[in-house]
Amino acid sequence: MERSIDSGDLIQGTLEMLVLKALLRGPLHGYGVAEWIEQTSQQVLKVEEGALYPALHRMELRGLLKAKWGASENNRRAKFYELTSEGHQRLNAETQRWARLSSAVAFVMQAS
Amino acid sequence: MAQHLHAFVLRLKALLLKRRMDRDMADELAFHQVMLREKLLRQGVAPAEVDMETRRRFGKASRWHERLRELWQFQRFENLLRDISFSVRVLRKSPGFTVVAILTLALGVGANTTVFSMINGLLLRPLPVPASNQLVVMGTQDSDPRINYSLSEPLFRGLERRRKVFTQVFAFNHSKMQVKGNNGTENVEGQIVSGGFFPALETPPLLGRTLALADDVKGGNPSGFGVVISEGFWQRWFNRAPNVIGQKLEIDNTLFTVVGVMPKRFIGADPLDHPELFVSMATEPAIHGTRNLTAAGFHAWWLTVMARMNPQATLEQANADVSANSNAILHEVIPDANWIAKREQRHFRFIAEAGSTGFTYIRLFFTKPLMAVFAMCGGILLLACLNLASLLMARGTARQKELATRLAMGATRRRLMQQLLVESFLIAVTGTAAGLAISPLVSQAISALLLGGQYEVHLDTSLDLRVFAFAALAAIGAALLVGLIPALRATSGTLSAQMKHGQHTTLAYERQAVLPRVMMALEVSLALMLVVGAGLLASSLVRLYKSGAGFDPHGVENIAFSMDQQPLKGDALMQFYRRMGEGLSHQPGVKDVSFAWIIPFAHMVWDEDFPAPDGKVHNIYQNSVAPAYFQTMRIPFFSGRDFRWGDSASTERKIILNETAAKLLVPDRNAIGQYITKKDGEKTTRYEVIGVVGDAKYEDLRSAAPPTAYVPMGQDDQETRSYNAVVRTDGAATPLVGAAHALGEQIERGIPMPEMTSMETIVRDSMSAERMMALLSVFFAVCALIVTAVGLYGTLAYATERRTSEIGIRMALGARRTQVAGMVFRQNAAVALAGTASGLVAALLASRALASFLYGTSTHDPWVFAGSIAALALIASAASLLPAVRAAGIEPMRAIRCE
Repeated sequence: MERSIDSGDLIQGTLEMLVLKALLRGPLHGYGVAEWIEQTSQQVLKVEEGALYPALHRMELRGLLKAKWGASENNRRAKFYELTSEGHQRLNAETQRWARLSSAVAFVMQAS
Repeated sequence: MAQHLHAFVLRLKALLLKRRMDRDMADELAFHQVMLREKLLRQGVAPAEVDMETRRRFGKASRWHERLRELWQFQRFENLLRDISFSVRVLRKSPGFTVVAILTLALGVGANTTVFSMINGLLLRPLPVPASNQLVVMGTQDSDPRINYSLSEPLFRGLERRRKVFTQVFAFNHSKMQVKGNNGTENVEGQIVSGGFFPALETPPLLGRTLALADDVKGGNPSGFGVVISEGFWQRWFNRAPNVIGQKLEIDNTLFTVVGVMPKRFIGADPLDHPELFVSMATEPAIHGTRNLTAAGFHAWWLTVMARMNPQATLEQANADVSANSNAILHEVIPDANWIAKREQRHFRFIAEAGSTGFTYIRLFFTKPLMAVFAMCGGILLLACLNLASLLMARGTARQKELATRLAMGATRRRLMQQLLVESFLIAVTGTAAGLAISPLVSQAISALLLGGQYEVHLDTSLDLRVFAFAALAAIGAALLVGLIPALRATSGTLSAQMKHGQHTTLAYERQAVLPRVMMALEVSLALMLVVGAGLLASSLVRLYKSGAGFDPHGVENIAFSMDQQPLKGDALMQFYRRMGEGLSHQPGVKDVSFAWIIPFAHMVWDEDFPAPDGKVHNIYQNSVAPAYFQTMRIPFFSGRDFRWGDSASTERKIILNETAAKLLVPDRNAIGQYITKKDGEKTTRYEVIGVVGDAKYEDLRSAAPPTAYVPMGQDDQETRSYNAVVRTDGAATPLVGAAHALGEQIERGIPMPEMTSMETIVRDSMSAERMMALLSVFFAVCALIVTAVGLYGTLAYATERRTSEIGIRMALGARRTQVAGMVFRQNAAVALAGTASGLVAALLASRALASFLYGTSTHDPWVFAGSIAALALIASAASLLPAVRAAGIEPMRAIRCE
């Protein structure tokens, strides 16, 4: 059986959140998602291909994303991912959860 | 839920478009690699390093695919496929075990399905009419708890008028009808039905109309007698001519008009009788002539009565209604006050039973034997399952190393269990399929065996949904029974212990072997029960055969003439029979010829009351026979003389008594020349006793010979009677019926084709239920013995094989070969002993259920019990000897070294 996001796997859960966020601006292919995350995080977060593609496929199976084949910017056949309405909902939920979590972590770390 | 569904649809798509899926994955990966490479090149990395970098980041393409593909698979389903192919390989590797397993299950499931399909056809399948659950069967009951399902015409008419809970009350009776065609007269199966029959069964005709209430008024429909024909008869007789409606048919010398054709699926209300002609009850006096049953009024019990309830009414209401109105109906329709008083005294009442499956008399005779056979089949299936379970368990012990290795490699217990269960399911499914494939053949054979040639019967044993559901249930049950315990056992236990000890875990062996031994003991006791049952039934059948009939049926043929619809009467008819007899006696191979009104075991009884000298009235069975009857039947003639053709209506009444009747009516004296009197109400008839003959059985083989009196056919009260020629031949007798017909045509044109049956067949058929049960039970018992032998041998052989090194050590330490053989042999001896003891107790208790089937045999017959135990002991010894001998042949050095 597949594991659900809430089972506490922070890395995987976080990666999925980042992917959802990356796709908020419109459809992207897998390479584009990885690039966007790297650039936006100013090269801090490096997305491993070995983690990215299983995550994308898992999210597609779960109905958070839907996939379409199209032409890339350099005119190659590429698989584009796009948020579904469920994906949007999940992104909202994840954003709130992340905000709570990070502020809580920050609060703890600032305690003297 | 929606999420799961979404994933399911996508996975299904992936499964169906597997190749496209793979290509897409490869393309996606390739695209990413190209983009990455371009980026690295743009950043100024050397091409050689670019290659290394991509390889580092992506690893092997195949592994990558594997990971992604895993996401898209139905994991459980594909695991199952893998288990199935693995199980097939495992089963193929031990073909001996697999074949035995499949054959035993095929036998078990096949036998059960076969008998179930017969039970289905006889008892369960609803009539093919709309809302059959509204149908009820009516009968009468009094202080005798047995229900009588035959009603007289006045009683039926009384019920028919009761319409409170019923929309229709209807009656029918089977009747063989003679239809005149271009090529002589033909006997056709028909039914005489009341006006409510077709309205109640609610099946529209294929052509024309059905019979209505208007056809069933006294004297018949004023527009003429109507007959409804079956689709089969329409095909055969009219070649499906569309203008059949309005055509004339001469049935039993009466002119009928075809008014309708019923479709093939319509079989009336008797599921085993497929009549081709339906005529209304009002025409019965016309077709049966002077001896019609309607005129006999309340003395003739000949109608099966059924009804359709109102949709709102329940069976309880219907039963309460007819029961409450019983006396009112009696007073309304029966003109004889004495008769009513007698019935009321015995608490006569009508009853209504569920009738969705229609009514057939055969049910009354064959339900119990069929259920007994079904129980035997259940026993054999259970036996087969126990056997396979213990064999699998023994194999499981042998496979422990393999399983332990798989557990160590990370397989879960669940996965192992699944794989082991898949194995047993494979066996079960294959076995069931094989059983189902042979089932129709077997059920045909069994129903032929069961019902014999006695009835014109159409037992529909076809495999319908109910039978398939039953077979599926049996297969699943068998698979679970066979597989679950061995799978649980094989996968339990600590892993390391199994790995470490490997072959010589004698301690573990002793501990684990308890369950298989219990199962083998159970199997032995079950086998003993089946063998005892078979022994009892078989010895009862042999006793029945040996009891004799009082006459010799071998080589006797009966030729039945249907003369009661023919113009020949009285002396002219006697002349016809006499000339026929003379003609037949000149046929090749014929030794003796005579005639009788009632042939033995024909389910016909004619009885009269004769007072003895002491005033006591005896009920004496009677028959009307021609001269030389006793000689033809080989009934011994004790004293006096035989009848002559000269004994006719104009001479003094003569009678011949059998020994029992002579002792009752003329005690302590030589009966010859004495006079006896028959009382029929106020009328008395005097007879001179002219002979005494041996006792012969009358109704059936099981009942003792009744006191019987024979009168000469020349002094028959009836003007026309259909006699049977009894012909003793010395063998080949097939052309007799043609000769009889040709002779008949010479004497009188237009007599219907006579029908021939052999006396031997009649005697055999009269025991059909006993014969079927005995044959089947012996067959099952033999199967049980074989299966048990295989099981005892198999489990012991496996167990001994695992002890090879232990035995080697024992021998190296000085154990003699006989000791080793004894040690192995004793293992099974204990199992067989325990099984026999428990089986003996169970058989003593269970054999009582057979009491009603046994003839002259005690349910605790010591010979049968002793013989069964001996048979089982023999089988068990033979099965245990081989492994024991093999164990004794072990070479100690080789056995120890092979570890």
